Amino acid sequence: MPSVTIDSSDLYKEGPALEVHFLIPIELEKKLKEKGEEIPAPVIVKSLIDTGASNCVVKKEIPEKLKLEPTGIININTPSSKDHECYQYFMRMVIPTHGITYQGPFIAASLDGQEIAGLIGRDLLKHGILIYIGYKNQFTLSMA
Amino acid sequence: MEKKLDLELKTYEKNKQNLLKSDRGKFVLIEGNLIIGTYDTYDDAIKIGIDKFGSKPFLVKQILEVEPTGNFTSNLIRVAQSCLQ
Repeated sequence: MPSVTIDSSDLYKEGPALEVHFLIPIELEKKLKEKGEEIPAPVIVKSLIDTGASNCVVKKEIPEKLKLEPTGIININTPSSKDHECYQYFMRMVIPTHGITYQGPFIAASLDGQEIAGLIGRDLLKHGILIYIGYKNQFTLSMA
Repeated sequence: MEKKLDLELKTYEKNKQNLLKSDRGKFVLIEGNLIIGTYDTYDDAIKIGIDKFGSKPFLVKQILEVEPTGNFTSNLIRVAQSCLQ
């Protein structure tokens, strides 16, 4: 099972955040290649593993940069809002140095003012293992 | 301005009761006002959608009586503005 271990300078303050690459789905990449069309470059951003998030989220600009169209709409609830409609995009998230790849739906929302551009939610975590060792400022994410 | 997937969502709502009777829990693939098919998994529906329509918009939706919601316990998501813009 591929895994990535991050040693954080201050895990308490920063949270379990890591750099990930967002790409178009592999099936779409193959299709564009067959047609000789341009493949959008990966978008590399910092994402936070958030066990309080039921779903993965990305900043709205990411699917725009990847020239993706939404494949769904979902209502979300946050502490300050209820039934807020957001688009969902089918995307690929990769940690290339560690062989981790996940394809699935990502909610596009505003994460303005945040250093992070994505949330890794429980819909992704259900496929893996998350180990959080607070006293060592270290966490590990393994994906099936 | 019409939101993206508006036509596909209207097509779903128009056919929801029949879909619930025949394919409850499955995933429906819709493009425009056409129901392309229903599939056992989300991935199957998405992959067929990409194969048929490439980068063009299409909707994949699980056929359920009550719509599922995403729940977030922190305020990291800014909801002051519409997500659909």
